[in-house]
Amino acid sequence: MTPDIPGAGNSLVDVRSGTSTTWAGLPEVDLPAPAAVVVASSFAALPAVLRHARRGEELLVVSQGRMEQHLREELLGAGFNLVSDDGLEPAGAPRAAEDHRLWLLTSGSTGRPKRIGHTLESLTTVSGEMAPRRWLCPYSPGTYAWWQVVTLGLAVPGQDLVVVDPADLEGWVPAAIEHEVTAASGTPTFWRQTMMAHGDDLARVPLKQISLGGEPVDQAVLDQLTGLFPGARVSWIYASSEVGASIVVHDGRAGFPIEWLDRDVTGRPRLSVVDDELVISSPHHGEGLEGAVRTGDAVVVENGRVLITGRTSSDEINVGGAKVSAGVVRSVLQEHPEVVWAGVRGRKAPLVGKMVVADVVLRSGETSAPETLADLNRWCQERLPDYGVPRRIKLLDAIPAKETLKSDV
Amino acid sequence: MVGLRRNGSLPRMSEVSRDQLRALMGEVLDAQGKSLPDDEGADLQAIGFRSLDFSELALRVEDEIDEELNFDAAGLRQITTVGDVLDLLTEIQRA
Repeated sequence: MTPDIPGAGNSLVDVRSGTSTTWAGLPEVDLPAPAAVVVASSFAALPAVLRHARRGEELLVVSQGRMEQHLREELLGAGFNLVSDDGLEPAGAPRAAEDHRLWLLTSGSTGRPKRIGHTLESLTTVSGEMAPRRWLCPYSPGTYAWWQVVTLGLAVPGQDLVVVDPADLEGWVPAAIEHEVTAASGTPTFWRQTMMAHGDDLARVPLKQISLGGEPVDQAVLDQLTGLFPGARVSWIYASSEVGASIVVHDGRAGFPIEWLDRDVTGRPRLSVVDDELVISSPHHGEGLEGAVRTGDAVVVENGRVLITGRTSSDEINVGGAKVSAGVVRSVLQEHPEVVWAGVRGRKAPLVGKMVVADVVLRSGETSAPETLADLNRWCQERLPDYGVPRRIKLLDAIPAKETLKSDV
Repeated sequence: MVGLRRNGSLPRMSEVSRDQLRALMGEVLDAQGKSLPDDEGADLQAIGFRSLDFSELALRVEDEIDEELNFDAAGLRQITTVGDVLDLLTEIQRA
């Protein structure tokens, strides 16, 4: 047992290899700081995390799948020694390591991944006593969401981890049943995919805590999960590499209460809306990001709740001068009982500039269903203004998702 | 011999015929709970065919021919009847 790490005795299970151990039982690794550790699996990154927790040496973790040439050159140029299965590639511009520094890469959904500086302390947003849980960790190694689950396992006794790689997600439900996972965190896309493909089996996972984040969280997915797990707490979390975990909502409803806006509470993030964009001052922010940060996430206020609808750069669709939120349209589609997932965007069109169009995955997986399409059209006409009704709906047979488990919504 | 289009490119592999255009226009109106009269002289305003409906019809044509339509080629004109819509979309496909 390592005395300085509270979660050292927590168990760690690697679904891919079947390995079962604890933090204290992980092999020791030798890393030349500052190190960028390129890993082929999520579990393979844990020894590097443990080393950082013990020694505080500068570290960046990245999955092999994200390691394209630009990023490699950038990291080498920034003084990182690259450590991978191929061996060690020394930094192009060696420099002294920065103690206690952890680096995250943003998802890159708004361009190339950016490096955001954190520490184990700034990433550890949950502490204190918690009911024992066995957490599924389905995220891509090195992302903010991955660090959230990993630091929970490190910092809080009784929080075990069952690690599954994004590439192996098809098999997570049987693994979660086998390893008795009681808590799982994933994007709405992750949950939708799972309910669509493994709904009956999913109900056999003994979940007590379900968390959603990483994408706009709509009421339909919260209701579906609550229906499937009536005894579980279903929470959604707003978190990003830049501002950390800033909003946590446990009441089973989409959005957060409008009363939370512009409220100053010591140790808590301050939430504001400026020009329909969420602005956050967070104690969990990354290096150099203190103060108010424009998140780039669009919000709308509806029935006393502040709903996060998507990225400001892509959420607003201008249809002949009338503006509609892609996130609002997506929510309406996803509330339809036959729909498991929807993606909404503006498509160039004559006369009106842009029209609202959607990709939809039906519960049945059908890609030709004229009657359902007609019903969806009526459903939207009853709930949206004329210009917000998707005029073209394409049926897909599966939910598209990237390695970060986010759909391109 | 294959003639080039006005922009110098080869003709499209497929074109939506006037009859098909009519059918697509009928589908657009049908989805709005309206119907397309047989008379091509029917007034668009009277039958409730609006800008959004025209735009949707254009997207349906684009999906059929798998190519974006170039409305600049058509020049400015008044479109007031069902026949005007069919004429315009036929012409634009050939532009």
